[in-house]
Amino acid sequence: MRSIRLYLLLSLIATITLVNFVSLLHGYQSSMEQAQQLFDSRLQSMAKLIAAANHDQTERAPLPQQQTPYVFFQIWDHNKKLIIRSSNAPSLSLSVLTPGFHDANYESYRWRNFIFHDELSQRWIVTAERSDIRYSLAEQVVLKSISPIILGIPVAAFIIWWAISLGLRPLRNLTEQLKLKQANDLSPIIIEHTPTELIQVVQTTNALFSRLDDAFQREHQFSTDVAHELRTPVSVLKVHLHNLQTTFGDNNEELNLLRQGVNRMGHLIEQILALYRAAPDQAMSKFCTIDLYSLAQNSIATNYGLFEEKQQTIELTGEPSPMAGDQFALETLLHNLLSNSCKYTPVGGQIVISVESSTAGVNLTIEDSGVGIPSNQYVRVFERFYRLYDDQYNSETIGCGLGLAIVKHIVELHHAFIELGQSKFKSGLKVTINFPIEANQPW
Amino acid sequence: MQILLVEDDRPLAQGIKTSLAHEGFTVNHLTHGEQAINSLKIEAADMVILDLGLPDIDGNEVLKRVRKFNAELPILLLTARATLNDKVKGLDAGADDYLAKPFEMAELLARLRVFERRLSSTKHADLTIGDVSLDLVNLQVTVADKTLELSRREYMLLKALMENAGRIQTRDSLESKLYSWGEEVASNTIEVHIHHLRKKLPKEFIRTVRGVGYTIKVK
Repeated sequence: MRSIRLYLLLSLIATITLVNFVSLLHGYQSSMEQAQQLFDSRLQSMAKLIAAANHDQTERAPLPQQQTPYVFFQIWDHNKKLIIRSSNAPSLSLSVLTPGFHDANYESYRWRNFIFHDELSQRWIVTAERSDIRYSLAEQVVLKSISPIILGIPVAAFIIWWAISLGLRPLRNLTEQLKLKQANDLSPIIIEHTPTELIQVVQTTNALFSRLDDAFQREHQFSTDVAHELRTPVSVLKVHLHNLQTTFGDNNEELNLLRQGVNRMGHLIEQILALYRAAPDQAMSKFCTIDLYSLAQNSIATNYGLFEEKQQTIELTGEPSPMAGDQFALETLLHNLLSNSCKYTPVGGQIVISVESSTAGVNLTIEDSGVGIPSNQYVRVFERFYRLYDDQYNSETIGCGLGLAIVKHIVELHHAFIELGQSKFKSGLKVTINFPIEANQPW
Repeated sequence: MQILLVEDDRPLAQGIKTSLAHEGFTVNHLTHGEQAINSLKIEAADMVILDLGLPDIDGNEVLKRVRKFNAELPILLLTARATLNDKVKGLDAGADDYLAKPFEMAELLARLRVFERRLSSTKHADLTIGDVSLDLVNLQVTVADKTLELSRREYMLLKALMENAGRIQTRDSLESKLYSWGEEVASNTIEVHIHHLRKKLPKEFIRTVRGVGYTIKVK
C-alpha cells in the first residue's frame, strides 16, 4: 500500500461499483419478472377479447392491416382447422393446441403464445407475442437506471478524493511539521484538533523528542563538566611538574617521562572533548558565516609558539574567504592540522597554508616539508586511535591518534571533502579540504 | 611584584605559588570571589590571576566589579572553559589576557612577563628588547644608544609589537591599534610602516609571518 488516499479511493470505488452492479442485477431480474407477468396477462386478455369478438362461424381471410409485427393471433375451430388469423400469423399451429402458455420458435424469433379454448364456440384462440419485446423493455428499464450510476462513479470518486484529503489533513500537517523540523529542533509538534487516531502518534513522537532533548542537554552538560573536572587536575600536574623540573633540572629522565605522560593525557582529553563538541546535532545549529582566511590567521597566531620552538617557517596565502560553518569546529580542524604539520615536520622545516575562494567553494590546503604519509595509509590515518608508523606507544611525538579522525568528522559535518597527497616540497604531506558552496548555506 | 591569585583549587594554587615565588613574585592566594574583591579594595595588587570557576561568584562577575574601582589593574583569566565565546566574554568584561586550562606554566610566566613589561614601561618609562629601547615618556626610540626619528604611527606600531613580543600581531589587530574606527586605512598601510621601521631597526628585529602578521622575538 503506497498511499492511503489511493488505497481508500480504489477500495471505496470498487465497493460502490460492486453494490451498484448487484442491485442492477436484482433490478433487471425483477423487472423481467414483472414484464413477464404484465405481457402474459395481456396475451390472456387479448385472447379472451378475440374470442368474444369472433363468435360467428365464418372463415375469414387474414386481416390485412397489421399494427405491429410483434403480435399475431389465430383462431382454430374444433376440428383444428385455422379459420381466422392475423396477416403475420403462420398458417400452422406453433404448438399443440392445449390451453395455457407455450414458447415456440417461428421466423427465427422466440414467441410466447397463449392458447385459450372458448367453450361456447368450441374454438381455440391463439395469441402470440415476440419474447424479445419484453426483454428489451426490461433492458431499457435497466439501462435507464444504469446510466446515472455510471456517470455518477467519477463524481463519487471526486467527492471521495476530496473527503479523504480532508480526513488526511491532520496527517499531512504532521508530515509537514516533521519535514520542516531542523536537525537541532527538538521542540514538540503541535497540531490543532488532533484526531483520535493521531493522538498517540503525536504524543509518542513528542515524548521521544523530549527524551532526545534531555539526552542532548545531559551530553552537553557532561562534556562541560568533564572539561572542567579534568582540565583542572591536568593543570595541577603540569604546574607541579614544572616546579619539579625547576628544582631537579631539565635533564631528569624520570621527570621527562612523566611530562610526556601528562602531556599525552592532556592532549587526549582535549581531543576527546573536541570530538564530543563537534557532534552534528549541536554543531549544525551553530553554522554562521565565517572567514576561513582570518580564522587561519588567528589559528597560526595562536599556535605560533609551536612553530617558533622548532624554528619552522610558516606562511599563509590566499584571500578572505567567507563560508558557512561552525567556528569552534573549524578552529579545532585548523588546530589539529597545524599541530600535525608542526609535529611531523623537522626543525627548520616549512609549512604553507592557503585559503582560496572560488565559485565552487572554499579550498584550504596545508603543505609541509615533513615526513609525509605513504599513500597506502591515506585511508587508515583517519581511523580513530590509528597512529602512523605504529607510534601509538612512542611518546616522542605527542598524540593520541584522534587528530585526523576529528578532522574527518568536522569535514563531514561541513559536507566538505578532504584529500591527502604529496606536498610541493621534497617530502611531506599536502592536505586539501574543499568546502562546496552550496552545501554550506546557513540554515 | 605582587600578584593576587584567585583560585579555588588548592593543589593548583599551591603549584602556581611555588612557581611564581621561584620567579621572584610575591603571591597572595584567595579562594573566593568576594574575598578577592574586598582584598583589592583595601590593598591593590600589581597583577591578578583570576580563575573563572569560583565557588561563590562567577569570575566574570568578579572582573566586572573590580573594573568599577580599578580599571588599570592587569588581570589574567584562567579557565577550564575554552570556547571562543567564553574568551570574548572574558575580554569584554575587562580581562587583559586569557589562558585556558590545562596550561603550561611557562606560558603563564610568559604572559605575566608581558604584564610586567607593560607595568614597568609605565613606571620606569622604557621598554627594552635586545638593542632596541622604547622611551614611553619622551616617545623616543633608541637602538644601541642612538636615537631614531620615528613618526607617531611608526612609534605606536613598534610599541604594540614590543609589548607583545613573542606573539604574532595580525595586520587587523595592528590596524585597530593604530587607527580609530571609521578612519580610512589603505590596504598596505601597515606594510609601508613596517618597511620604514625596518630600515631604521636592526636586521631581523621585526619578523614577518607571511599572510598572518608580524612578531618580535624575545631575546
